[in-house]
Amino acid sequence: MAIDSLVLGAGQQVGKSCVVVSMNGKRIMFDCGMDMAYHDHRRYPDFSRISNSGDFDSALTCIVITHFHLDHIGALPYFTEVCGYSGPIYMTYPTKALAPLMLEDYRKVMVERRGEEEQFTSEHIVECMKKVIAVDLKQTVHVDKDLWIRAYYAGHVLGAAMFYAKVGDTAMVYTGDYNMTPDRHLGAAQIDRLQLDLLISESTYATTIRDSKYGREREFLKAVHKCVAGGGKVLIPTFALGRAQELCILLEDYWERMNLKIPIYFSSGLTMQANMYYKMLISWTSQKVKETYSTHNAFDFKHVLNFDRSMIAAPGPCVLFATPGWLSGGFSLEVFKHWAPSEMNLVTLPGYCAAGTIGHKLMSGKPTKIDLDKNTQLDVRCQIHQLSFSPHTDAKGIMDLVKFLSPKHVILVHGEKPKMATLKGRIHSELGIPCDDPANNETVSISSTHYVKARASDTFIHSSLNPNFKFSKSISEDESGSCLKDRRFMPQLQVTDERTAEGILIEEKNKKAKILHQDELLLMLGEKKHEVRFAYCCPINVSNLEETKSTSDNVLCTSDRCSWLQLLNNKLSGEISGGNIQDFGEHLQVESFDISVCLNDKCPYRIIDTQNKSEAVFFCCTWSVADEKLAWKIISIMDNFDCESH
Amino acid sequence: MPYISVSVSIFKPKLHSLSLSLLMEELVPSSSEPLSPQTLASFRSFIINPSTPQSKISSIFETLTRSLQLTPDSLVLNLLSELASRHSNLSHLVFDSVRSNALLSSESIRLAAESLDALASISNTDPTLSTAIDELDDRLFVSLCFGPSVSVRSWLLRNAERFRIGPYLLLTLFLGFTKDPYPYVRKIALDGLVGVSKSGIIEDRSMINGCYCRAIELLGDMEDQVRSAAIRTVSAWGLILVASNLETKLYWSDDLFVKLCSMGRDMSMVVRVEAFDALGKINLVSEDILLQTLSKRVLAITKEKRSLGQCPAEQFEILASNVAGVLVHGLEDEFYEVRKSACHSLRTLTIISAEFAGEALNLLMDVLNDDSMFVRLEALETMLHMATCGHLKVQGTHMHMFLGTLLDSNTLIRSATRKILKLVKLPNIELFRLSFDSLIENLEKHPQDEADIFSVLFHTGCNHGKFVVSTINEASEEIDQASEGKLGFDSARVAALLVLAISAPLSHGEHVCSIPPRIFSYAVTLLGRISRALTDIMDQNALLAYLSQCSISTTFSATELNIRRGEPCLPVANIEIPNDTSNEIDGSTRTSSQQEKDGASKLQSWTMREPLELAAPLGEFQVEVRDEVMKPINLILAKVKDIWPSIHSGFTNEVLRTLRNFKEELATFTSDSLGTIGAVAFTLQYLQELQILELVLLTCTLRLCKVEICCHFATLKKLSTTVSRVESILKSANIEPTIFISEVGKLLCLNEMSSSEASCNPFMFKELLKHFSLSQFVLCGRLNQIKAELTIPDNDSENPLPFVSRLPVGIPCDITLHNTSNENKLWLRMSMDDESTQFVFLDLNLFGSSDEVRKFTYVAPFYKTPNAISFTLRVCMGMECLFEDVLSVKKYGGPERELTYLCQEREVHLSMISEH
Repeated sequence: MAIDSLVLGAGQQVGKSCVVVSMNGKRIMFDCGMDMAYHDHRRYPDFSRISNSGDFDSALTCIVITHFHLDHIGALPYFTEVCGYSGPIYMTYPTKALAPLMLEDYRKVMVERRGEEEQFTSEHIVECMKKVIAVDLKQTVHVDKDLWIRAYYAGHVLGAAMFYAKVGDTAMVYTGDYNMTPDRHLGAAQIDRLQLDLLISESTYATTIRDSKYGREREFLKAVHKCVAGGGKVLIPTFALGRAQELCILLEDYWERMNLKIPIYFSSGLTMQANMYYKMLISWTSQKVKETYSTHNAFDFKHVLNFDRSMIAAPGPCVLFATPGWLSGGFSLEVFKHWAPSEMNLVTLPGYCAAGTIGHKLMSGKPTKIDLDKNTQLDVRCQIHQLSFSPHTDAKGIMDLVKFLSPKHVILVHGEKPKMATLKGRIHSELGIPCDDPANNETVSISSTHYVKARASDTFIHSSLNPNFKFSKSISEDESGSCLKDRRFMPQLQVTDERTAEGILIEEKNKKAKILHQDELLLMLGEKKHEVRFAYCCPINVSNLEETKSTSDNVLCTSDRCSWLQLLNNKLSGEISGGNIQDFGEHLQVESFDISVCLNDKCPYRIIDTQNKSEAVFFCCTWSVADEKLAWKIISIMDNFDCESH
Repeated sequence: MPYISVSVSIFKPKLHSLSLSLLMEELVPSSSEPLSPQTLASFRSFIINPSTPQSKISSIFETLTRSLQLTPDSLVLNLLSELASRHSNLSHLVFDSVRSNALLSSESIRLAAESLDALASISNTDPTLSTAIDELDDRLFVSLCFGPSVSVRSWLLRNAERFRIGPYLLLTLFLGFTKDPYPYVRKIALDGLVGVSKSGIIEDRSMINGCYCRAIELLGDMEDQVRSAAIRTVSAWGLILVASNLETKLYWSDDLFVKLCSMGRDMSMVVRVEAFDALGKINLVSEDILLQTLSKRVLAITKEKRSLGQCPAEQFEILASNVAGVLVHGLEDEFYEVRKSACHSLRTLTIISAEFAGEALNLLMDVLNDDSMFVRLEALETMLHMATCGHLKVQGTHMHMFLGTLLDSNTLIRSATRKILKLVKLPNIELFRLSFDSLIENLEKHPQDEADIFSVLFHTGCNHGKFVVSTINEASEEIDQASEGKLGFDSARVAALLVLAISAPLSHGEHVCSIPPRIFSYAVTLLGRISRALTDIMDQNALLAYLSQCSISTTFSATELNIRRGEPCLPVANIEIPNDTSNEIDGSTRTSSQQEKDGASKLQSWTMREPLELAAPLGEFQVEVRDEVMKPINLILAKVKDIWPSIHSGFTNEVLRTLRNFKEELATFTSDSLGTIGAVAFTLQYLQELQILELVLLTCTLRLCKVEICCHFATLKKLSTTVSRVESILKSANIEPTIFISEVGKLLCLNEMSSSEASCNPFMFKELLKHFSLSQFVLCGRLNQIKAELTIPDNDSENPLPFVSRLPVGIPCDITLHNTSNENKLWLRMSMDDESTQFVFLDLNLFGSSDEVRKFTYVAPFYKTPNAISFTLRVCMGMECLFEDVLSVKKYGGPERELTYLCQEREVHLSMISEH
């Protein structure tokens, strides 16, 4: 069995996340995002690769959306309403609530401001959202009788989730975007330790390692405080949801403590509305917000006011949150044009800005002039503070998650190619997990776990119920993560419980597999037990053998045989300490070692030439493998034994 | 069931042969069928009832035993063990019966386990059976563990200690069961291993190593509970392993540390807390590993070396990623529990390396911005630990954040910060000024912190003599100006400056004498306030002596002063490093701290009292409870002080209401833990008495000021009685009188000696008024309330006591006394409606010796029964105030001094015996 992952988007790039995973006959599309950098067909994933015929309903079992960011959901209305997919779509409750806002906002910007041809209409968005089935965290959803999915908290933005999907014995996790450290308003990603064949993880910051968030917060507050104290205006371009709330909680807290009276504004109605959603979806926020919301809801911003366009030119210090985040257009750019020329003012930039946006231009060095378009040039004299806040996990977080989940295979998406390659190498070398970073439209095929259902016999079940552990000492077993390889130190005590090792799996043609206890095997097969035994015919020198022989017509009588055995017995008892020698008259037995006098001159186990050894009495010895050591010990005793007859 | 029928045929003859008493017939069903639940219930009531005759108990025992032989049953087993616990004479028989009938013959593993339980609990109640339980075969226990029932297995493992299984066998079992497929059993097995490790019996290194390694394997378990138990186990055995060999000590310590670090990024909060708790128990780690925990990036030096501590180099990358930034992650965790635990772990870790301590401090300062109060407090307490170990090196960049906490709205946070300030050595005068200003700000915003702030100022001053001198010299003009007004240093700043100034001579340096002597005379006017702040260094008299000496000349050595010796408050290089609560790991803490000693002692100078306080672990429950009560009480006491201005302005009603509210608040402290009752009672008493009495004194004084007043003598008398009462209250609580009270007292003494009219100079009383200020009283330490309960049993107006007129009558009194000693002179006061009173002396020597509580009945004779058909007597108990000088007029052989009444007055109804 294999898992095939077709990467339709976010392969070695950040944007338009879309991965179609086929496992055990089910096909799941994870995320359906768009690429904001393009305005032609490249903005959408190449859906034709899913099905040539365009019958997506039969080609896909379901769609799973991790969160409401456009690079994860932007293509969804297009796919459902234009391409005609009508199967189930799963997302979390907050995502379902917030996604239409984001899509509508985007549609408006594209169509109304840019005058582009619209790809989907408002009605499309509404219709699309009707197909959505909302899920809760850790709720196991049976998509159909074979496919289960389950959402886990991912941090990142409100409602973001990682999805676990399981078909039969094959299981995988698609992370979407996630954050492994908590921020002021959202918690850290949280997932159970699962047995996974595949983990598909984002890798936006594949090589970055971030320091403590405390330092970042301190620097941001310092920069803002310094600016407003000097009478300047602070422009914080953000997207409506997420960063705006996090920074606002931080500022509120600081304003409260420092008793500042400078106004904080939110630019658009959308952000105010978003705050409403945060207030309602409190169970999706961080531990701290959850714990305290009954006394004070952290999203009840006391100092925040609505901003009016007329206030742009108003004098006096203020802090303004404005959308969109990358200064790619809209209100934030408008305000930026007004405020950028004054060196008293401050613009904060998010940690990441898409290429081609004004934000991106500002980030690269400190330009004094920026070309807004062909005709207009803008003097930029204001201070620029780059935030290193990010809702994405850093490289360490990715490693931590991969280590915690220890899947059999990792696929990296949503990152930049060279950085992904570095991380891929680390996952492989440090964690020993095979890892891929496919490009768009590539398919990665990995083998998956296949379990066989087997009936178990009663004896086996019974023996499995009872503990059966053993101890052994092994010399420095190679175990990952252990420091014990050092030879200076002692061998390690090992504990094993081998009750399952006693089972035998039997697969017969046209029959269900069955597990038997090892004792039952012969019975079932109707066979006898065969045992491999070693044999050796061992001569013992007898000094006065001739005399004895003559008296008894060259035939050893029974009593003689017994007396020789008796002599040998006495000898062995003296030499083998603790050995339990049993005398059966005709033969002696020590454990599985069996000795009897051999009268067959042509005994096949006789190695020594009989001709020259006329003065020897031969003893036939047989033993099983288990007692090999003992056998050689006895034989060496017998070799040195000089038997004296009476 | 065939099994039963067979048994019946065997045992039936035996049943007949038993001579069952008739008693049993009603209880026992005729045949040997299993006993019905009703029967068992009735048995149980018989067993519980202490008055059930012994014969019946024996017959119940026999029935139960027989039932156990026939159909072993857990209910019967329970009854038998209950029977054994209540009737110890039968415990041996029950023990034998259970052992022979249920333990081995039973078919069910569960029942066998239950009988084992019963045997263990029987032997617990009867010490003579303790050897019998030892004789039980360990093999039985082991075979039960190996049975298929998981619940029995986990129960047995959890209770293994009760069955006195040999430690080696137990260890083997636990170790084996860490492989159990059931996570719950694995967890119990791991917990069991921790238990065995505590016994300290296992000394075989390969065994120790085996446990350690097995637990490490389980750090990767699928279940949170198992992982967190595994961390405890790794920690417990790892520490043993570390201690087992000096040569390999550092190697194993590093190994343990790295292993625990790898759990710091677990997804489960519980596991993370456990990991940081365990990290805090390690007291020896290579410095490079420690430093790596504070950086999420692999440090450059480490990268070059490609090795971490003593750990093998071939696994460098994994090790480095395990360790990197673990503490940073811990300190910025989403859950405050984790952040708190990470803060706590720094306490031991910062002792190990000074460089690490410096880096960690940067992080800790940021933690002061945490949104959880618990975490902020923990961070401050960790800093305090660092300060006491001499590892707290504050820098200018820290100060803004650190001093900010002085303005925190939380009292605990402010006080924790001040504790650190007392110990901190500030590198330059800028930081010194900054700290001083912050303290002033604290004082202005939270005046209730005054005593503590003064104490901090004094200690800081002693540590930074040079800075004090230059600060005071600059501010001396300000002080002088304030003094010119009317020597009332109202401004908090000036008062603080004075406190700072007077500390200078005690610092050891050559800049001692540069404080102008007049400053010390100014300080005398604040004597009360300052001495309250410095109770840990010197008492008021010593302070006064010190100040007056200094105001003459500052060239003397501190030893000349009458400063309390013996207390570790003078410059002695003797530091007690506060050991963490975990005693097992003390060994190396000591050695490493010993090395630090020389360096640290110079910094600490003589503020050793605080660390000593800290060294006493606050774990004792009682202390905490007391603190919980003491704090609000002190808060109330502080507020009482604040109502003085209202009294001044004539808002008497408001004041009374406030006082009433306080009383109600006090009434909510019902906690009767040791030591708090006294405090609550005292505070109640203080609210009504001391406060009022001082006001009474004031009114008297005011009245005496007026020359034209006529009732001079009566007022004077009232004044003197009030003073004595006030003094008695003060003395019983062992507190210093306010200046006003002591001045009034002095004046009165003077009056008594001269007893001339002339001495009653109104002017003198006017002078007195100046001393009056309503000041705060802070309660610390334990108070015992002397009180009594007095009841007259079976007596009310319906059931009067009989008496015969003119003949003495005995009044039976049930008396309970609390906290009285035999030195106390107790009196019963009995008064009739016509105000005729009789006192009866209670000789405490006759009524038991217990000082805390004594309870007795006393028949008090009342002699002067009136010629009336009935009368009521009011009875009350009082204690003579031995320390009161004023002798009251002797009446009827009553008490010599005034009585303090210890209980409520009771009414006794008496009626004449009707003559027939």
